[in-house]
Amino acid sequence: MNTELKLQALLDGELETREVRELEALLAKDTQQAALLQELKWTKAAVAGNDVALSLPETRDFYWSKIAREIETAEKNAAVPAERPWWIQYFYPATGLAAMVALMFVISGGRDTDGANTESVPEDVNAVSFRSDAQEMSVVYVADEQGKISPVGQEAKNEPETDK
Amino acid sequence: MPTPMDHKSATDVELVAASQAGDMLAFEELVARHRDKIYARAFSMMRNEEEAIDLSQEAWVKAWQRLKQFQGDSSFATWMTRIVINLCLDQLRRQKRTRAESIEQLDEELGGVERQMPVIATNPSEGLERSELRKRIDKAMNQLSYEHRTVLILHEFEEMEYKQIAKVMNCSIGTVMSRLFYARRRLASLLQSLKKEQQS
Repeated sequence: MNTELKLQALLDGELETREVRELEALLAKDTQQAALLQELKWTKAAVAGNDVALSLPETRDFYWSKIAREIETAEKNAAVPAERPWWIQYFYPATGLAAMVALMFVISGGRDTDGANTESVPEDVNAVSFRSDAQEMSVVYVADEQGKISPVGQEAKNEPETDK
Repeated sequence: MPTPMDHKSATDVELVAASQAGDMLAFEELVARHRDKIYARAFSMMRNEEEAIDLSQEAWVKAWQRLKQFQGDSSFATWMTRIVINLCLDQLRRQKRTRAESIEQLDEELGGVERQMPVIATNPSEGLERSELRKRIDKAMNQLSYEHRTVLILHEFEEMEYKQIAKVMNCSIGTVMSRLFYARRRLASLLQSLKKEQQS
C-alpha cells in the first residue's frame, strides 16, 4: 500500500496501531503528506451528513399500486405449478413411457416392437402374410375368386395339441 | 380474537413481523415510511429519475419476496437500502458493458490521475450554507464515474468499511481504497472549482 492510501486508511480508521504510529512519525516531518491528509479530512467532513435529500415525485397510491401489481403477478406465476391437481403426478411415468414408445416406433421405422411383420406378396397372388416372432406364429391370408380374404395357412409353435 | 394492528402507530419491527406473516397493509406502511430514502439512494447512484423510481419499486418487490430472510440483524431501512444498492449496481454494470468508455474514464480506472492533482490548501466548503454545500456536492458527484460515486456513497453515507464495500462491489479492497482516494481528490478539486466560480 502506498503512502497516500495509508493516509486515507488512517483517516478512515482502517489502519493497525503500529502503522498509525509509523504514519504519524512520517507526517511530523513531511509537510506535503500532511497537507494531503488535511485535504482528505476537509472532503470527508464536507460530504458527511450531506447526502442528497429527495422525495419521490409520485403519490403514495400511485407508487404503491405498481409494487402491489408486481407482487401479485410474481405470486400468481409462482403459484401456477401448485394449482395442478394432486393426482396428475401419477401420470408422469405414463407420459414418459408413451414418449419412449413413440421414439422406439420412429427408430424402428414403424415396425411393431415385438418383431411382428405384415407383408404383402405380389399383387397377382392377392395374398397377405403376417408373422410375429414374439408370438412365434405366422399366418397367410389369400383372397378367393370373390376377393374375400381368409387365412389359409397358420403355423404356431408351443400350441397345445388338443385336436390330435 | 387478536385486535387488528394499527399500522400507522406500529414500529418497523412490528410491521416487518406482520408483513412476514403475509399482511400486505403492514408492508404498504413500510413502503410509505421508507420510500423516499430508498428512492433517494437509487437516484444518487443512477442519476436518473425514471430509473431510480423503477429500481426502487423493484427493490420493494424483492424485499417482499425475501422478507422471510430478514432476521433483524440490521434495521429494516438498512436491509432495504442494501437491496436497492445491489439492484442499482447490477443495472450500472449492465449499462457499462453496453457503452464505450471515454479516455478520461479509463484514466480514472487505471488510477494515477489523482496523484497529479495539486493539493488544495484551503477548505473548499468553508463558509457555505448547508443547502448550498449539498447542492455543490450533488453537482460534483454527478461528474464522477459510477464506480467512484458508489464507493463514496457506500463509505460516507452508508458507513460501510472497505471490506464490506469490496464485497458489495465485487472487487478487491485495494481497488476500493484506490477508487475512494480518487473520488475524494476529484471531489475536493470540483468543490474548489465551484467555489472559485462563485467568487468570480
